[in-house]
Order: sequence, then structure tokens, then C-alpha cells
Amino acid sequence: MDVKKYPLKVTLHKFGEMIYFSQLDLVKILERALRRAQLPLYFTQGYSPRVKLSFSNGLKLGVEGRIGVTFYFTENILLESLLEKLARQLPQGLEIITEPLE
Amino acid sequence: MIDYTQIQKPQQYIGNEWNVVKKNHDGKITVCISYPDAYAIGMSNLGLRIIYGLLNEASDVVCERVFLPGQDFIGELLAQKNKLFSLETKTPLDSFEVIGFNLSCELNFINFLKILYLGGLALKSSERPNTIVMGGGLANPEPLAEFVDCFYLGEFESGAQSFLEVLRKYKDKESRLKALSEIEGFYVPRFYVAKLSADKYCFERTYHYASFPLRRAYVKDLNSAYYPRRWLIPHTPIVHDRVQIEIARGCPNRCTFCQARSLYYPYRERKPEIVGQLIKAIYETSGYENFSLLSLSASDYSSIESLIDETIGYFSPRKIGLSLPSLHIDDIIGGLYKKLIPLKKTSLTCALEVARDDLRSKLNKKIDTSKLFEAAAILRALNIRHLKIYFMFGFPGETEEDLAAIGDFLQKLMHQTKIALHVSVNAFVPKPFSSWESVPMAQESELILKRSIILKHIPAWRSISVTISPIKRTLLEAILCRAPREFSKVIHNVLLKELKSSLPVNSPGDSFWWDRWKKAMEEEGFDYRPLLEASSSNFPWSFIEKGAGSENTCSKLQIPNHKLQINSNNQNHNG
Repeated sequence: MDVKKYPLKVTLHKFGEMIYFSQLDLVKILERALRRAQLPLYFTQGYSPRVKLSFSNGLKLGVEGRIGVTFYFTENILLESLLEKLARQLPQGLEIITEPLE
Repeated sequence: MIDYTQIQKPQQYIGNEWNVVKKNHDGKITVCISYPDAYAIGMSNLGLRIIYGLLNEASDVVCERVFLPGQDFIGELLAQKNKLFSLETKTPLDSFEVIGFNLSCELNFINFLKILYLGGLALKSSERPNTIVMGGGLANPEPLAEFVDCFYLGEFESGAQSFLEVLRKYKDKESRLKALSEIEGFYVPRFYVAKLSADKYCFERTYHYASFPLRRAYVKDLNSAYYPRRWLIPHTPIVHDRVQIEIARGCPNRCTFCQARSLYYPYRERKPEIVGQLIKAIYETSGYENFSLLSLSASDYSSIESLIDETIGYFSPRKIGLSLPSLHIDDIIGGLYKKLIPLKKTSLTCALEVARDDLRSKLNKKIDTSKLFEAAAILRALNIRHLKIYFMFGFPGETEEDLAAIGDFLQKLMHQTKIALHVSVNAFVPKPFSSWESVPMAQESELILKRSIILKHIPAWRSISVTISPIKRTLLEAILCRAPREFSKVIHNVLLKELKSSLPVNSPGDSFWWDRWKKAMEEEGFDYRPLLEASSSNFPWSFIEKGAGSENTCSKLQIPNHKLQINSNNQNHNG
């Protein structure tokens, strides 16, 4: 059965202590925050399912900046609802901002 | 300030894990705890997490963490003349009232002292006027008796409240140590003298009210015991990157070489409903995608089947991975393992110890290896990536056939299962408080010979990977776990050598590393051989009561001597 996926693109601001975490670390940090927020997550298919995420750019370790992130859900999630649920699950130094990435 | 962009793995020094506890120190009792190894290893330790959560529950206590930093970080600290500090509030170690160490791994003894040194603390107990250094997790505390002010013998949950009461009531070190020494489970070495006279270790107390004999303390009921629900999640991978849910403590089996049975005696289970509540609570506050159900022998858990059914019901829709580190082969055949197929990924571990059943029965290890072959078809269907298998050698009475059988067994298993095998082979060490604590350890030359016979018979296939512990490393482990109080001076000597050199002491396999220990033992005039030959009539640790968990089976079993009957063509192998 094919599960429908609903992408939602946001901009993530990485600053403060979080600049010392790599892009690979960021995948897990976001996955765990999404799981805690109990959002209807879309998983990759196959033997070892993972939360689907995509990044539009990367940031070097130690650099503050913005990253475009696309989340995928199994239902349509509104940006306001995502902000409300996810913001309090993100560690200090990661923030979702509404303005689009340059 | 340290420039973290110039440091390897800066993530390990930030201290901003999810669920981290940061409190201000004003008027609180300040404790810093440590597993004296790298962050990724230390953060995988369950005991540390339990104590961290438990102490932080108290509103008048602050408990923080510290681990052994990398060489580059240490270099920076020393260059800037800064002291090693805690992760949470970056407080130098010498500002804490208590520093607690998990000392369960002997090879970390030097790391432990290095942390004290870097934290600006005197190494010897007698030279620290205020700070109390606590140690736990080890069976024989004696080799560290000069450095540690107070050991906790047993499971700290059972003594944590009395410990805090003492710290609240008394403010100077001497009164605190005296009060602690009167409570069951706390051992304060300075209030006892230990000496060897006429082949016997004598042990006397010098403070009249200190507990004697000493007894290990344990948690009576796991169901009401504290368990951390706000799981600390590092934002970077660690060695055991999963939530550990302890389903049982202790082990009902009686393998003769095993120390864990007596250290965690008696066998206790946590009720399935409590396990279920913990899983739910921890998942909700952590979002961790991997869990493991932890115990020394999961197959012995009374309601393992229904527990797994319920767990899978929760994990499967949430795509959470589950591992069960300790199942019997019977459970694979019995189908228990099949239940795990719908979950994300699984690996399987079998501790077989020896390849031939008759030797295994001497070790009191109840496994029928023929069943592993019966299980081959199931294993193939399970989509398991690899099978981990543990073997031991160096037992008295072991024959050449026993050693060769390991290779033959692996060859046969490989043929039938077609699964990659990760094989770990370790030499037997007569651990304190195990049933075989008084069995002499095989001589170094004997172990080298046996090791070469084992390796010769293991097929050199890419699908079979073998790790076999270096003999010198095993020897050192054996010396450290059996050492008496006077051994402190050897440890101190090695630390001084370590501080003078820029090379880390823990580079196992390195002959240089063993040489340092050997040289220190020679310089201090310490002969380690009698320790391993178990030649005294009691041991440096015999002042601690043997619990019911360490019944001595030596007298009941005939222990044959070590001499191996070897064909002459093997004599040339060594190393």
C-alpha cells in the first residue's frame, strides 16, 4: 500500500552551541524532535525505515547559519501547527523561522 | 576559553543533551559523576544515567558529569592552565564536594586518576582536605584504596538516600566519611588496615564504628527502584546508541567463571507492566528510535514472550528498533526471535564460551550447541546481518581438541547458516567473587600457545571476523582485578609515567603499554605471579562478605591442572 506523503519546507536557523553539531547529527536531532512532537511522520520504505528529511544546503561545523529543510508527513500539516508542536522539542540553538531561505 | 572548532568531536564537550539537568549551585550539595573513559563510551553506561537522574531528583543536590577528554582537548587545557570541568555548568572539578566514579573496568584505573589530576585534585585520599572521591562498580576495591575516599559496594540506588542524608548533616570530610563508614554498603579504606601475614590477608578496623564485616548492598525490589524516565540524549552518536530498559538484574544461571552473578545477586525481575510504562514514558520524552531490553539473560525473564508481544505492539507502528542482547538458542528455535522480524533491525548474540559440550558442562554453562544448527534455517530466514559469538579459553583441563573445536564449529556453522560470524575469544580470568576465584590462572606462555592453536584452526574466511584479546591485556586485567592495597603504588607509578609521556596509556595491543606496567611493577618491587596463582589462603578482597551468589564450587568440582597435552608440532607457535 502506498502511503501518501506531504512535504513541508521550512528554514532552520542553527546558532549558539548547535554550531558544533554536524549535518549528520542534525538528521538524528530533527528525527527525535519530530518523534517527541508526535507528528504523523512519513518513513522511507524498505528493510530499515527512516524518517524522511531533505536538506537544501549544508553548513560547515562551527558555522552559524540557515538551512532549508523539508519534512514529510502522512497528512497535510499546516506550518502554524508544525511550529507550535516542534518548536518546544528543538534544542537551544535550533529555530524554525518562517521567512524563506535566500 | 577553548576554541571548539579546533578540537576533534567538539560535540562531546558541549553538555547540551536533550533532558540535561542544569541547576545553579547556590547552597546545594554539589556532585560530579564520571565513567572514566571517552564520552561515547561513558554515556553508554546505564549505572551513570541512573545515578545522574536519582541524585538530581533531590532539589538540594546538583549532579553533573565529566568524561575523559581527547588528547587535543587535554593539550589545550594544560596549555591554558585550566582545570578539567563538568559538562553542565563548566565548573572545575575541584569545586565539587563529591566526585563519583564508575570503576567497573580495570583498564580505566589510569583514566580515573588522570581525570582527578586534570581536575586539579590531589590523587591520594590523604592529600585531599575537602573533596570526597567515591568509587563503585568494582568487585575488589583494594588496588584503589589509596586514591578513593569511599567505595560503595553494590547497587547505589539502595544507599543514595542515606548518602545524601550524611552530606546534609555533616559538612567536613572526616565527619562525612565516619558517618558513611557506619552505613551498610559504604567502605572507607582509611578506617581499616590490611596486611598480609603468614600467607593470609588480615583486615582490621581502626575506627570502632565502621561497618565490619563489609557487605554488598542491593536493591530489594526493582519495581519500586528509581529508573530514569527523562533519558539523556546525546546529539551525536555514542557506542550503545539506544535506550536501555533494564528488565531484570542479576542472573539465575551459575556459570563458574562468571562474576556478574555474585555482584548482582540475587536475580530480580521488573514487572512487565512497569517495563511497559518505562518504555512509553521514555519514548515520549526522548523520541529515541532504538531500544534494548537489558538483562544478563533475557531468556530467563519469566514473561519474556508476552513482554515482547506487547513491546512489538508499541514499537512496530512507531518504527522503533529493538535489540535483545542475551537470548538462548532455545528461544530462536522456540520462535521467540521470529517475533522480532517486523521490527527494524536485529542482531543476535550467543555466548557459547567453549565449542565442546563436555567442557561447557564443567563450566556449568547450559547450552546445547547442536540446537544452534537446528536453528540455522530460522537464522537464515530472519534477515540477520551477523551473528555474534563469544568463546573463552584458558580453562584448566582444557585439551587441544577443545581449542581446535572452535574453528571446526565455526566452519560448520558458517556452512549451514550463511550468516557472517563475528567471533570474540577471551582468555579466562579467575575474577574475585566468581565461583572460580581460587582457580589459578594459566601462565602467559600457556595462553600464548593455546591462542595460537585456536587461531590456527579458524578458517581465514572473510565472513568470519575474529577478535581475540591480546594475552598481555588479559594478564593486566587479571592483575588489576585481583590486586591488594599495596598495588596502589604501582598504579601511581604508571600514572606518573603516563603524565610524562604524550602517549595515551590505553592503547591495547601495544607492547609499549604493557612494558610501562611491567617496569612500574619492577620499580615498586611487586611480583604479580602469586596473585594469579591464587597461592594465598585468602584474597585481598576476602574481607567483603561472599554473598549467597558466590558459592564456591571449586571444592565440589575436580579442578584439573593447566598443563596442556600438546603435539610436538605446536611447540613452535607463539604470539
